[in-house]
Amino acid sequence: MSKDLHIAPTARSWREIPQPVKPRAMSREGKWRRMTSVLRAMGATLVVGGVAWGLWEVTRTLQETPRKMPEAARAVAIKQLELRTDGVLDNAWLARTLALPKAVSLMELDLQSLRLRLMASGQVNAATLTKNFPDTLKVQVGERSPVARVMANWRGESRALVVARDGVVFEGVGYGAAMLATLPWLDGVKLTRTADHYQPVENMGLVAELLARARLDAEHLYQTWQVVSLARLESDGAIEVRTKPGTTVVFGVNGDFLQQLAKLDYQWEALATAPNPPRKIDLSLGREVSVSFQPLPNFNLVPHSLLKTKL
Amino acid sequence: MSSRPTFLGAVEIGTSKISVLVGEYTGRELAIIGCGECSSRGVIKGGVVDYKAASECTHSALEQAERDAGERIDHVFLAQTGGHLEGFYNEATVTVKALDNMIDAGDIRTVCDLAKSKELPTGRAVVHHIRRPFRVDGSLVSSMPENIGGQRLEVGYWTVHGQEQRLADNIHVIRGFNLEVRELVLASLAAGHMVTTPEERRHGVLVLDIGAGTTDYVLYRDGAPHTTGVVPVGGTHLTNDLSIGLRLTDGQAEKLKLRFGRASVTTKDKATKVMLDGNFAIGDRQFPQQAIEQITAARTWELLEVVKKKLGNAFSPETCAAGVVLTGGTAKLAGIADVAAKVFGVSAHLGEAPTWVSENLRDPAYHTSLGLLYYGVSSQADKSPPIRRVGGFIDGVKRLFANS
Repeated sequence: MSKDLHIAPTARSWREIPQPVKPRAMSREGKWRRMTSVLRAMGATLVVGGVAWGLWEVTRTLQETPRKMPEAARAVAIKQLELRTDGVLDNAWLARTLALPKAVSLMELDLQSLRLRLMASGQVNAATLTKNFPDTLKVQVGERSPVARVMANWRGESRALVVARDGVVFEGVGYGAAMLATLPWLDGVKLTRTADHYQPVENMGLVAELLARARLDAEHLYQTWQVVSLARLESDGAIEVRTKPGTTVVFGVNGDFLQQLAKLDYQWEALATAPNPPRKIDLSLGREVSVSFQPLPNFNLVPHSLLKTKL
Repeated sequence: MSSRPTFLGAVEIGTSKISVLVGEYTGRELAIIGCGECSSRGVIKGGVVDYKAASECTHSALEQAERDAGERIDHVFLAQTGGHLEGFYNEATVTVKALDNMIDAGDIRTVCDLAKSKELPTGRAVVHHIRRPFRVDGSLVSSMPENIGGQRLEVGYWTVHGQEQRLADNIHVIRGFNLEVRELVLASLAAGHMVTTPEERRHGVLVLDIGAGTTDYVLYRDGAPHTTGVVPVGGTHLTNDLSIGLRLTDGQAEKLKLRFGRASVTTKDKATKVMLDGNFAIGDRQFPQQAIEQITAARTWELLEVVKKKLGNAFSPETCAAGVVLTGGTAKLAGIADVAAKVFGVSAHLGEAPTWVSENLRDPAYHTSLGLLYYGVSSQADKSPPIRRVGGFIDGVKRLFANS
């Protein structure tokens, strides 16, 4: 039967001769043809890719922004400014800060420049602006919380500013006077002014930590704190707190603030019956606490910052 | 088939000239839209001996053809000639498997594979497998024998093979122009396809393509190529003989051959002289016309005798009823048809391109290039296997994509 026949493999055909040729074996015209072929292929790929990308962009734009909306939106003025904040700022502040022209439409707004205007206040930590067609501008801001006050020259007059945990100095809009009165004054800081604002206060993180710890765990002590001085912070690693009774408490930044507060509380209670309040309690000496009753020269309660601030 | 036309190039790298034709193939029609030609260098007897020179000439012709066509060639059909090409015949027989003796596709495939399964010496590669008609129980079947009743199925293949290195040289000349060689076609088959009609091929016809360096021949029988071959002798040899015999330069001898050469001696008077240039300028000389004719006639006769001898038993006047058809540049030699008729004992005439070929391409020197295009296109169209309905629907779909 033919099925059982052995068929030898067919002989090698000319088609098995390899045809690829290295470019250097090609003539000048051959190389030119090869290059143009490659360029054509690349061009075709780019054109196809470009057309596909264009179609995708058009489809996406049509889906996300209906075509007729821009014309309609251009004619409608902004009627509502919607502010969402985690702090105390209000719509009046927002309107004042953005200072939008009258009858401006959403389409004419440059959100990036508006955002920069908000961020320039210092009180705003983060801002997101959203156009809500046809007539609403939504603004969502995250605010800094003040931890201390500082006296500084602000727009030509000396006034109290607030300092946030990250050292940013700002005006402190919308805070009640009672709330501000609970904040201690900062002393011994050098404020450097650039353009329309001050440079952040250095090492403010440590101070903020001490104040937060005191406010949480020893509020009765914190309420007596009037001035927090950073004068010895860099040189001695110490934060000096001057209290209403006139006692100066020295905290060491290398020790645990909670332990130091506990020692202060203990000393404070132990010395409550003393005829005169101590002039100085030094908690920065490690396990030892130095309490000084020696009368000191009259302490000037006016914050040093008033005297030392470079304007 | 895609809607974009394909631009095909037919390249013949000959000993005296390199010709390129550009065809625009739409899938239904083929139109010649460009032509390029360049004097050949670096080619002897159809083989590339100086790659750089041959490449320069071929690329020049290709560039000229593309410029003439105004299009870039997509791929090329390349004519193949040279003394290294040889052929042999191998046949196979199978017993029909089916109980009802009906030949099926499997029988045909098996007998074809068997007939083609002949190993070649190292360094040789197949150029063509030319199938001769099937025979069922000894009777000739002109078409595919599928579903014909019979006990024994026979088929034979005329296999043309050549030196792999020589074939590769020709291919690389084209690749140097960054073009793909889609089909390698024997020059004689290409020319034969152009200058003979299907009827002549059915009756039996011998086509001689006499070029400058080689003479390619193909003998058709029963409508299919029966035997092919190449004789490494051509018009250049006539020129050489004239050059030696009359002490002339090659250029002068070529000029005399073209003006006064004949395949037979007709000049009786020895005193009849002809001028080399005819302008009586300094250097112009007289030559006896009879001597010129004697030299060219002797060589032509000898050339035809060599072809006849190589054909051997394959050729006989009885099986070559349509006679001899001459083509190629040297076929323009006066009186060559008469000599061919005497040598082969059958009628002979000069091959002519079909009437639809434009006037500037009707010269016998273009028959091979023209035939290349048409033979190449038809062989591409026949690429799909002759046996249909193999493997069912899935294979059909695969073939569809493979051919697209």
